[in-house]
Amino acid sequence: MLPIDAAAHSSRWRRRHPVDKAVLGLGLTVLAVSLPPWPGAALVLLTALVVLLGPAGVPARRLWRAYRVPLGFCATGALTLLVQVGGPDGFVAPADGGAVRAGELLLRTSAASLGVLLFAFTTPMSDLLPRLVRAGVPAPVVDVALVTYRMSFLLLDSVRRIREAQAARLGHTSRAAEWRALAGLGATAFVRAFDRAARLQAGLAGRGYDGTLRVLVPEARVSVRFTAGSVALLAALTVLTLVLERPPT
Amino acid sequence: MHIAEGFLPPAHAVAWGVASAPFVVHGVRSLTREVREHPESTLLLGASGAFTFVLSALKLPSVTGSCSHPTGTGLGAILFRPPIMAVLGTITLLFQALLLAHGGLTTLGANVFSMAIVGPWTGYAVYRLLRRFDVPLMVTVFCGAFAADLSTYCVTSVQLALAFPDPGSGFLGALGKFGSIFAVTQIPLAVSEGLLTVFVMRLLVQSSKGELTRLGVLVTGGRPQAGAGTGTEAVAR
Repeated sequence: MLPIDAAAHSSRWRRRHPVDKAVLGLGLTVLAVSLPPWPGAALVLLTALVVLLGPAGVPARRLWRAYRVPLGFCATGALTLLVQVGGPDGFVAPADGGAVRAGELLLRTSAASLGVLLFAFTTPMSDLLPRLVRAGVPAPVVDVALVTYRMSFLLLDSVRRIREAQAARLGHTSRAAEWRALAGLGATAFVRAFDRAARLQAGLAGRGYDGTLRVLVPEARVSVRFTAGSVALLAALTVLTLVLERPPT
Repeated sequence: MHIAEGFLPPAHAVAWGVASAPFVVHGVRSLTREVREHPESTLLLGASGAFTFVLSALKLPSVTGSCSHPTGTGLGAILFRPPIMAVLGTITLLFQALLLAHGGLTTLGANVFSMAIVGPWTGYAVYRLLRRFDVPLMVTVFCGAFAADLSTYCVTSVQLALAFPDPGSGFLGALGKFGSIFAVTQIPLAVSEGLLTVFVMRLLVQSSKGELTRLGVLVTGGRPQAGAGTGTEAVAR
């Protein structure tokens, strides 16, 4: 199981309905991209961090390991805003206000990423996917996504074991060997995926498979109190941003 | 590499979502029709999605010495066709956003457009075009995978340049900046992905003719395919 999903399964908010967590987590993300970066995204970032490490109980180290991935892309992308191409100062020159724009972009992306991480760290995929049918996603697509999700872990496990076996047989000692090992890994993953699909099909056919995958979904009800509290928090952040952005005259 | 969460302004995020929607809806209709006609396809398509997801988790040694991961769009488009790849790619991108913090939900539309639509369609178009001129299978596979990978990152550069035009030279200057980071540096990785895809396809032609025939990559009864092994009647479409 992948670290974020594993953390979601043991989260304090595991038993909460996904809608509760979507309103809060994805609401923070929407605020981060739609409010002015300063002070809006900064407030969202702070709030998301407090909720993640506080009430949601996400371990700081796990959060950092997941958070540094989007931060890498944001930093690389933001670097390009520091310079401008062409103009009176030469072919490449520092851009006027580039540092401010890069800082605002970093603020916005890091706040938005934390909002999604709040949702991801508290909502296992197995709770979310079956409920997408009620949200209007066609059932066959949800079924394919469910099989993809469950089979991904098996395949990732297979790939890890094959890599270990290849390493034990000195399969990564030279560049050529590494290429051969990688190609073998990709091809074996393909063959295993199809083999598992065929075996799963045979097993389900013996149990009267009619094209619909029925899975048990943990019982959960949307909490009006939690959702109302989340909406109030989002509204408070919006008002605070607007107040701080326009200093009193 | 996908555009991270919150990187695009709201109007751009919505616009790319709207641009991707028709392709994804078309793919969903194809997939739904396929599953209704052949219920067992659910498992095969799920396995294909898992394969695409796992492929994107493999570390790819680059000729520059760095390391990246394959997009899998070229191989996916050749194996499963672009409309299906639009759906499988969307599912994969959603999983990457929520399980790996790679990409994002507000940028899902933009990432779907580059990686699940433009990449597969470009790779598949190159593959089919070269096949029409009787170019050997492995050369077409390399060119398809190379074109799919590179076009994905070129579109990503265009998306970023549109969102953040250069103060001095506008869109073109920004395209040069983002292109030099995300597209030019991707050329060696696109070569690497092309080579990897050829190696994978060679192994598949040797070991999984049945599956490739089922997917329509190989057809039976045609001319013998060079490099497809002896005693086979399978040829590449």
